[in-house]
Amino acid sequence: MDFDAQVKISVYRHFADTGEAPSTVDVAGRLGCSNAQVVDAYTRLRLQRVLLLEEDGATIRMAPPFSGVPTPHRVESAGRWYYANCPWDALGIPAALHRSAVVHSQCAQSGDRLRLEVGNTGPEPSDWLFHSLVPAARWWVDLIFT
Amino acid sequence: MLFFRSEERVSEWCTDRGVRPRPLVSVSQLWQLAAAWYSSRLEANARRPGPDEIRAIFAGIGLADPFWDPQADSFAEPA
Repeated sequence: MDFDAQVKISVYRHFADTGEAPSTVDVAGRLGCSNAQVVDAYTRLRLQRVLLLEEDGATIRMAPPFSGVPTPHRVESAGRWYYANCPWDALGIPAALHRSAVVHSQCAQSGDRLRLEVGNTGPEPSDWLFHSLVPAARWWVDLIFT
Repeated sequence: MLFFRSEERVSEWCTDRGVRPRPLVSVSQLWQLAAAWYSSRLEANARRPGPDEIRAIFAGIGLADPFWDPQADSFAEPA
């Protein structure tokens, strides 16, 4: 496995194990490399649309489906809480973890609360809807807005 | 990207912002997208799907509108 793939897996494993974004120190310690090497890998992973970074280039804002910051889309699985970037990613977390989960979110218009159980083969029946204002070709132009 | 309780709530949200509603996606369809995108994300050889794969994934669950084309830079608001 090349170094960038090791960094990517280390980031994702940290999110899966803790529900939080790792620091560069966390990743460097796990891989036995320098912080600078991790930051360089982050830059390359950003270009591959694997990570979205804060302006400092060293803090992970998104490693989809995981969010490094609190959002209205929370996922509970195996006693651990995760933040998702959007509804799509909220369902993406149990898909990535291969574990059942409960998605907690809300209606963007009414504020009605959503509690959606997701099993290994998918969510319980629901008549809620997902709506994206941004067309697919522009999602990564401003991923936070998307 | 947002959740809505119903199509009426989507319409209200769009009216409040002066934008036209986009194609709606059911929770069942959303799960299929999430599984296609993320089920291998924690694996070493995971990668994002390419444009043709993305089109095929969307088309496979009935989302064939140009809105979902990852390279349709020409997508525009209808008159």
